[in-house]
Amino acid sequence: MTNTADFEGMSDDELLVELGEALRLADPVPSLVTELVKAGHGLRTIDTEYAELVFDSAMEELVGVRSDSSTREVTFRAPGIEIEVAVVADDRRRIVGQLVPPQQATLVLQYRDGSHEVESDSLGRFVFDEVPTGPISLRCIHGDNQVVQTDWVIV
Amino acid sequence: MDYADDNALPSVLMAERPNGDLLAAAADGDSQAWSEIVDRYERLVWSVVRGYRLDEAASSDVSQTVWLRLVENCDRIRDPERLPGWLATTARNEALRLVRANKRTIPSEFEFDLVDESLPDLDASLIKEERLRRLVEAFNEMGDDCQKLLRLLTTDPPLEYDAIAELIERPKGSIGPTRARCIEKLRRIMERHDSASRGPHEGPSR
Repeated sequence: MTNTADFEGMSDDELLVELGEALRLADPVPSLVTELVKAGHGLRTIDTEYAELVFDSAMEELVGVRSDSSTREVTFRAPGIEIEVAVVADDRRRIVGQLVPPQQATLVLQYRDGSHEVESDSLGRFVFDEVPTGPISLRCIHGDNQVVQTDWVIV
Repeated sequence: MDYADDNALPSVLMAERPNGDLLAAAADGDSQAWSEIVDRYERLVWSVVRGYRLDEAASSDVSQTVWLRLVENCDRIRDPERLPGWLATTARNEALRLVRANKRTIPSEFEFDLVDESLPDLDASLIKEERLRRLVEAFNEMGDDCQKLLRLLTTDPPLEYDAIAELIERPKGSIGPTRARCIEKLRRIMERHDSASRGPHEGPSR
């Protein structure tokens, strides 16, 4: 009959080692995650400017003061350009975006297993319909073939 | 090179490649180096993410996001030896982002049904498994704060107290005492489970 006796003789350090082992066995990294993460190396872009995530409405909301929670706003910033994005989740998930300063550009929405390309209008506005769940990243090709790649983020 | 005799391997081949080398190689397109970084730290990222009670699909999304961030930042990590801290912080931030945006959280409980029958000594491993199962059952009953801290204290590879303090936004000096209190709670829960499973009709075991 087992009981806590075998834990009583154990120091805190030893107990933690056992707990670590137990959690690794009970809650392993799913093999699909490992597979996707390793394949993710192929998504690495080179010779691109990097647009950092600088604003996320989800992180700004005060506890208990949730605004219209169906729209999420995020902003990416690279030297000389900002990409503002609103994720609208009504019947389907859409991205409505704005380039600052306004300009015509090609935008590529990258997701786990594919990508989508649209053009912004002369006011810098663009729309992606049917945005998949999971991590996404935007690539913006503007001006004289300058390429900006945003952080990956779940929206 | 002749690998017939293991002792003939130069020791430099046996040593782990430093993070800086791996990151530089991965930035240069070496997917083998990338895999090595993933093998080294995927468990760490997962442990941090799982402290936020996201369901498995959401936890998977967050883990992938963390690693895709690193893919794009291979050549921008300022101090490669602090990569574990960078990964853990990014994992926390992205998990929080999803929690706040979606509220896709669930009570996190784990089933524990795993016997590795390939182990040489099955009896010993069954006894050990029983022990580990009781630990997980007790862990499942703990509050969020203790669960999170104990996860951070049992990562593989281990996190430094500085990094843990930053992740849970507490002073470093508070971690030791909180750790002791959480482990004490864990021991109490296990004791309670034991006396419950012995039942009221049986006397104390001798």
